[in-house]
Amino acid sequence: MRHYPSAALLAAFALSAGFAHAETVLSVTTDGNAETVAAMEALTAAYTAAHPDITFEIENRPGGADGDNLVKTRLATGEAGDILQYNSGSLFQALKPVDTLVDLSDIQGSVIDSFKSVVTAPDGTIRGVPFGPAMGGGIYYNKKIYAELGLSVPKTWAEFMANNERIKAAGKVAVAQTYGDTWSSQLFVLADFYNVQAAVPTFAADYTANKAKYATTPAAMAGFQHLEDVYKAGYLNEDFGVAKFDDGVRMVATGEAAHYPMLTFALGNIKQNFPENLEDVGFFAQPGDDPARNGLTVWMPAGLYIPAASTHVAEAKDFLAFVASVEGCNIMIGANGATGPYLIKGCELPKDVPGAVADMMPYFQADGMTAPALEFLSPIKGPALEQITVEVGSGIRPAAEAAALYDQDVEKQAKQLGLPNW
Amino acid sequence: MTRNSLSVRQRNTGLIATAAAAVIFITPFLYIFFMAMKTKKEAALFLFSWPREWHFWSNLTEVIMARNYMLLLAYMNSTLITVGAVTLLILFGAMVGYILQRRPSGWNRLIYAGVLVGLMVPPAVVPTIWVLQGLHLFKTLQGMVLIQVAYGLAFSVLLYRSFIATIPRDLDEAAIIDGAKPLQIFVKVILPLLRPVTVTLIVVQSIAIFNDFTNPLYYLPGKENVTVQLTLFNFQSQFQSQFNLLFMNILLVTIPPLIVFVFFNRQIVAGMTAGAVKG
Repeated sequence: MRHYPSAALLAAFALSAGFAHAETVLSVTTDGNAETVAAMEALTAAYTAAHPDITFEIENRPGGADGDNLVKTRLATGEAGDILQYNSGSLFQALKPVDTLVDLSDIQGSVIDSFKSVVTAPDGTIRGVPFGPAMGGGIYYNKKIYAELGLSVPKTWAEFMANNERIKAAGKVAVAQTYGDTWSSQLFVLADFYNVQAAVPTFAADYTANKAKYATTPAAMAGFQHLEDVYKAGYLNEDFGVAKFDDGVRMVATGEAAHYPMLTFALGNIKQNFPENLEDVGFFAQPGDDPARNGLTVWMPAGLYIPAASTHVAEAKDFLAFVASVEGCNIMIGANGATGPYLIKGCELPKDVPGAVADMMPYFQADGMTAPALEFLSPIKGPALEQITVEVGSGIRPAAEAAALYDQDVEKQAKQLGLPNW
Repeated sequence: MTRNSLSVRQRNTGLIATAAAAVIFITPFLYIFFMAMKTKKEAALFLFSWPREWHFWSNLTEVIMARNYMLLLAYMNSTLITVGAVTLLILFGAMVGYILQRRPSGWNRLIYAGVLVGLMVPPAVVPTIWVLQGLHLFKTLQGMVLIQVAYGLAFSVLLYRSFIATIPRDLDEAAIIDGAKPLQIFVKVILPLLRPVTVTLIVVQSIAIFNDFTNPLYYLPGKENVTVQLTLFNFQSQFQSQFNLLFMNILLVTIPPLIVFVFFNRQIVAGMTAGAVKG
């Protein structure tokens, strides 16, 4: 405490003497994923090299529900620092961005439009920039098993099930499921959204407006049906009820199982734990009924935001503009390799990407071959979906009943958000 | 047969009990130990097995050096918070307990109700942060110490109050006759007698505070303010965890409370039996 007056005096002196180079420390909060940290450290190091008067303090927060509470608490108390990394889409909306985050509409020059829409606040301003690659939701497959049994990548769900039958006949596990991590059970439902949209283009809007339901839309219910089908046919690994995400990744990477439905970020896990198996793994979008319309459901990357209470908005904004540039994008690719496309105009992926990423790229290059996951198009995502999908995937509840139950679950959230027509 | 030797049945019962306790308490620790020695790949299998390759030293150095020696800073912060908070808890807990027990007045009932409320009503995070911000104590170790004191004080007061009830008033009166002032009675007569309950409190509270996760998470943000439990997030995240390093970190974090417990354990038992025999 005794230092305080003298420090203030010194600062006053420094200002009056005209030292313009005040050292600024920007505090950054990110989740603890190894890739997030590596990318953030590379970006901040590069930025400090170019702007020596700006340094960074990176702090990690937990993920999941703990992290959600923490971020909301810090925003509510004005202690969220200068830069915040957090999900885009419906979780971003839950932060009440109009009140808590700074408007970043003027640094969106290089950002691809599809990302802007998932960080747009209700008042139409854009409040975030993309951080990290977009992810695809689909099915990983083991290339060695496919080669051994002479299988080809399925374009329809029927072909997928036929492949599974042959894999099972060969005495192998056809589909790995890991309900020990309940969130991983949702993939067949969530990654099916491209097919839902292909069949019913207005589903997202109707669903938000309470006009369409999972239980009454056959295309939407297919995801639940798929979960039930793979369980009933006996394609799953024996320990599907307790296995964890890490087990699923191991099974498909080392050939213990032929398929694992998952998002593309699992590649980082394979790269860390099974680098020698990285090229044994391929990826395809979750197939629907129509072979001509076989596209990928895409998850948008997290965003970087500036909390409204930040005292260094100008500096933080300049840094975020740097992140949202081709240069920043290349630094992120340099730090982590390419696990998916970056949403920056003019940012090319290197040629030597892992096989599973190469499998995913064609979907992005053609028009209309990707659709954002439902959680980026509609603010409604029922909190109990993962419990319901575990029930269906374990044969406890039939698909039709589950879809109806999920519609009820969704209703609670829609009412909480105060959406019209609910 | 000498007096000290056990019968066969007694010996067998003892052996079985020891074996059961060993399985229950040592197995998880062994699991942590083995996981901490493995490579990333082997640790991701989650098997309770002998490590194929021993990576004790490389894992240890990697954990300690992670994020610019964050673990060492965390040890220091956690130790400061624990020592500070436990000291204050003992001091204030004993004082309040003493007064509550020895000086009956109309206020006692109200104060005691306040203590019970403090024990039962869960604290709210956001208003607490507002208070800390108002006092300029948010994001400081002192603030964290006060939070831990506030959360733990009710329990300490309860323990001390009921323990002081077992100390005969004759002692106080003897001291008064010898000319001791109230403060002297407390410091010179009562406080030394409180040793057994104080040791119990030290063990219980220091382990709880050292291992606390949620309170530092909410009340002590900032890179410089990290505590040991928060360092676990260096290696654990939702989608990608380095389990060998995570378990090595758990191992390192578990050691200080273990030392406290082993060190004071004998005294807890000694304190309990001493009180019992005196009657």
